[in-house]
Formats: sequence, C-alpha cells, structure tokens
Amino acid sequence: MAHRIGRRKNVKKGFQFTLMVVGASGLGRTTFINTLCDADVVPKRESDEPEMAHVEEAIKIKPYTVELDEDGVKISLTVVDTPGFGDMIDNEYCFQEILGYLERQYDDILSEESRIKRNPRFRDNRVHALLYFITPTGHSLREIDIELMKRLSPRINVIPVVGKADTFTPTELADFKKRVMEDIEHHNIPIYNFPYDPEEDDEETIDENSELRSLLPFALIGCEEEIMVNGRKVRGRQYPWGIVEVDNTQHCDFAKLRFALLSSHLQDLKEITHDYLYENYRTEKLSRSADNLSD
Amino acid sequence: MVSTQAGAGIGIANLPNQRHAIASKKGSNYTIMLCGESGLGKTTFINTLFTTTIKAPKTYKRRFNNSTTEKTVEIEIIRAELEEKQFGVKLSVIDTPGFGDYTNNRDSWMPIVDFIDDQHESYMRQDQQPQRQELSDMRVHCCLYFIRPTGHTLKPLDIEVMKRLGTRVNLIPVIAKADTLTPTDLHKFKKRILEVLAAQNIMYYTFPLESDDEASTRRNMNIMAAMPFSVIGSTDDVLTADGRTVKGRQYSWGVAEVENEDHCDFKKLRQLLIRTHMLDLIHSTEEFHYENYRRAQMETRKIGEAKVKTVTNPKWKEEEEALRKRFTEQVRLEENRFRSWEQQLIAERDRLNKDLEAEHSHIKALEAELESMQVGVSPKQRK
Repeated sequence: MAHRIGRRKNVKKGFQFTLMVVGASGLGRTTFINTLCDADVVPKRESDEPEMAHVEEAIKIKPYTVELDEDGVKISLTVVDTPGFGDMIDNEYCFQEILGYLERQYDDILSEESRIKRNPRFRDNRVHALLYFITPTGHSLREIDIELMKRLSPRINVIPVVGKADTFTPTELADFKKRVMEDIEHHNIPIYNFPYDPEEDDEETIDENSELRSLLPFALIGCEEEIMVNGRKVRGRQYPWGIVEVDNTQHCDFAKLRFALLSSHLQDLKEITHDYLYENYRTEKLSRSADNLSD
Repeated sequence: MVSTQAGAGIGIANLPNQRHAIASKKGSNYTIMLCGESGLGKTTFINTLFTTTIKAPKTYKRRFNNSTTEKTVEIEIIRAELEEKQFGVKLSVIDTPGFGDYTNNRDSWMPIVDFIDDQHESYMRQDQQPQRQELSDMRVHCCLYFIRPTGHTLKPLDIEVMKRLGTRVNLIPVIAKADTLTPTDLHKFKKRILEVLAAQNIMYYTFPLESDDEASTRRNMNIMAAMPFSVIGSTDDVLTADGRTVKGRQYSWGVAEVENEDHCDFKKLRQLLIRTHMLDLIHSTEEFHYENYRRAQMETRKIGEAKVKTVTNPKWKEEEEALRKRFTEQVRLEENRFRSWEQQLIAERDRLNKDLEAEHSHIKALEAELESMQVGVSPKQRK
C-alpha cells in the first residue's frame, strides 16, 4: 500500500482525493460541489410532493466520482454528499451516521493491511477532508455546528465554511468569521487550520498558510449559471441591486479554497489523514480488541 | 322608514368622526409575535418596521456563560408605547428565543402554543369577573413566522409549528433575509411554499379583498399576491449608486433597499401590519380566534372552573421540583422545632407539678403539726 508516491509518478498517474461535504439543506452544498467540479455532478434536488413535505427524511451518504484536470494535473475527485443532515426535527442520529461511514472506510483499510495476500487494485476510500457548511445566522455557532465538528474532528480534517455568504455585508462577514473562530477555540474543536512551523518552514509557506488560516471559515457563494458582465462571461448571481461573482476574491473565498483543496494542500490533507487520523483510529481499535481478548 | 335628505341631515353622519375621536383618545393594544430560528433577522425587522429600537440587537460577550444544558424555548415580551400624531399604541412584541436552535427540536413549539392559548384563557377569565373594566389584554393579534431562505421548501419543523399556529392566531408567513435569493429563485420558492401550505392544510391570514373603492381593492389584491412576504431588514442609512440615501444593506456589489418594491415586500407587509389591516388583525383575533377558543373551552368546562394545566417546559418542571424540595425541607425543620419546644414545655410542667406536690405535702405536714399543737393547748384552757 504505497502512500508516499513520488511526485513524478503522480503527475503521470494523477492524484486521488476524497472530500465530504456536510451542511443543512439550502446552504448551497450541492451548488458548491457542482461549481467546484465545473460540471453537473450532483443532480438538482427533485421537488417532492407538497403533501409529503412534512415527512422527515433521514440523512443519506452519497459519493460521486469525477475526473478533473488541474493545470495539467489529473485528479480523481470523489465528493461525498450528505443530503438530509439537520433537516429532521430531532437530529441526534445524524452524527453517528457520518461517523459510521468514516470509520467503515478506516476498517476496510485496516483489514486490507492485515491480509496475507493484499489486493493490488484495492481502492482507498478514506475521506481526506470534510467541508462543514455553517448556517449564516450572523450570530455565532449553533448547537448542531459545535456537536458535529467536535464529534468528527478526531476522525477527519474538518474545514469550516460559511455557505451562502452573499447574505452578509463585508462588516457582517468579518464579525461573523471572528465569532465563529472564537467559538471554535472556546469549545476546543481541532479543525484543520493550515498548520505550519514558524521555525522550519520557508517564508513562502508560512505566508501562504497564515493567509489561508486568516480566511477561516471560508465564505462561499455557489453558482452554476453563467451571466454576462461588461461583455465577459462570469459565473455569478444576478440580483436587482448588483451581480455577485463566484470567482471574484473580493466577493467570496471560493477560488482560494478550491486552490488549497485541489492543489496546494491536497497532499498535506492526505498525509494527515493517513499518518495521524488513521493511525489514531487504528491504535484505538486494536487496543479495544486487545482489551476484549484479555477479558 | 324615515330617510333624511342629503345636506339636511340630523347629524348621524357625524358618528364616524365621534368614534374616531373616542378611539384616538383610547389608543390601542397591539400584540405581534415573532417566530423563527435565531439569525433570521426578526429583531432587525421589528426595529425596521417601527423605525425605532424596540429590541436591542444581540450581544455576544456573555455567550460562553450560558450552560448548554438549558435547552428550552423562552417567551420574551417587549413592551413599547408608540405615538404618532397623538394616537397612542401599546405595542407588545413577543419573541421566541431558542426556537429551532437545538439539535433536537421536538416539542419546541409547546411554550409558544401554550402562550397563545394562555392569553385567550386569561382574557376569558377576566371577562367572567364581576369587575371587568380594567382588562389586561395580551392576545396575540398576529404571528409572523420567519422562514429560512433555503430556496427549496418548508422543513418538517416549519410545517409542524405552522399547523398549530394557524388554528390559533393570524399566521403570516415571511421569507427572511430575502436578499439571499435572486428574483427567479424567490419566485420559485414562494410558489413552492404556497403549494406546501395548501397541501398541508395550514391556515394562514387572509382578508377580504373587495373594498368600496377601486384603489383599495387593487391594493389588497397586490398585497395578497405577494404572500409569503419577502423581507429585508435594516435600520442603517446607506448611499445607493445613484446618490440616494435609503434604509438598506450595503454589499460590495450593490445596495439592497428595504423600501424598494423590486427588492422585497417590506412595504406591502408594513402596509398590512400597520397602515391598512391592523384593525382587521385585531378584530379577527377577537371575533374569530378568541371566540373559537372560548367556544371550545365552554363546551367542556363550567364557568369559573380552572383549566387543566400540563407542565411541558422541562425547565419549569425542574424549578417546581426544587421548590417542592425546599418547601418540604422547611416544613420538616419547623415541625422539629415545634416538637422540641413541646418537649421542653412538658418537662417544665412536670417539674412545676413536682414542686407543687412538694409544697403541698409540706403544707400538710405543717397543718398536722398545727393541729397537734392546738389539741394540746385546748384541754389546758378548759381547766
């Protein structure tokens, strides 16, 4: 099971990356996935019967795989969508569903590793990052936000993002981001915050990572349609009072996040997943079974 | 029937003016309830509506002090007295902090529903009293339900709550933070919401469209057609691209204006709530919702009988338990005190009785001695 593949080999072979997206409906999750991949990856939600609108739908886990080309580098991206999160009246069940899925992927690797004869075509389905869509209330984190991030961060790199960020004026956005980060610190939630070593890393890396860290949580706006602005075609949302552009870094952090996920920090996220998160799970699980045996 | 000629009237036509004078002096009671998850702009909306700070915006400094074990929905009452051109309104705004904010929101509508019923109940009881001049009336005249602008559909929680609200109060569904939706998205969303409201049999506020003059009828139809109302709230003055100063929200890509009817339905909603249909909202609450409640209660209860109360709020249960414990403890202490006092008194009485007995026997001894002395003396005297 080769994880430390050399870069030259990768460029030819391409990278594999799995990203999970979690958030309540109506926060732009599906649109984000489609905007990220620049394709209709996740089908538009079919309108259910109005008579059935009161029926609570449980969370579902749906992976989609798409082949991307990032500046000549091939990436096989698997996006795991989680429709139904937070939509029920009682949402206590959601967390376990997602956690179960993540741990099952770890279990698969664990059992594959322990085989005498390993499968060379074994597919590694571990999830390397989780984008959590925070509801843009304008206040601070809600109970379900804190619960989810707390419970999942021991198993996956959690990156908080703000969905439908065009709800905020620039001041409101800055205040909200600040409060969210304060909440995250207060509750000791170990999110992925673009770690760097001030002593060891070079200046460029330090600058890059501090900048990304300062943007947390990433403000996202999603849009799949293209409209004309001043003669050029852009991806944007047209309001009566103006046009919001997805790729304009003044309007939102989409472009920066995309670059971090699919280029600059892809490898780091994978390494942390394998060297740290998976290893912790493995240790915990094996000690548990050792305890069970010794009882 | 005697009919008066135009121009030679006896003054009946002046009655509306007299009523106007009476009503103006008396002022009015107006109670609006705001229902919806936090962060949907309810506070901003009410402040925008009345162009004054009815409720102060949230402060975040003490949010870490709250214990996370208290997961309840509170009922917050904010009172204000407004006056315009010497007409006064006693405004009560009912907020519902905590609603829809938790991971588990089951039964979170109970405190809200109970509050509405309680106001009807309270008015009914007061009305049955011998003295009923000074009635305190906080019956809810309208309930604005703020819907999250997802662009999809209503959530199961929205449906559960609105079903229960619609049968008790004038329910007005409102799309919050509507500047998140493009015009096409908004149109689809409104259509979708109306479909779901109809399919789920949720009663929401409607009013008679036909009116005496054309303009009013047209205006009424415009207002009804805009339901559910899309709302943008702001108390800040901002400068638009073409130099006007308006109440609005300033984005990097433009200014969303509160009073621009192309941007949102705020003006129509304000019209409904204040300028044209405030009286209808008040009357329909009194004549329809209150009467329904009263009829339902009277069919099952006798006059003067108390309502069967169910304690549903877990926080109240806890408080009740704590109080009961304290009370029992106090009673026990007092009883102990009385018991020991009783013991003391008994002991005292016994002691005194003993002394009395001792004295008594002493007296007897002395008497016997006196007698024996007298017997000895008298024979001597007879000699």
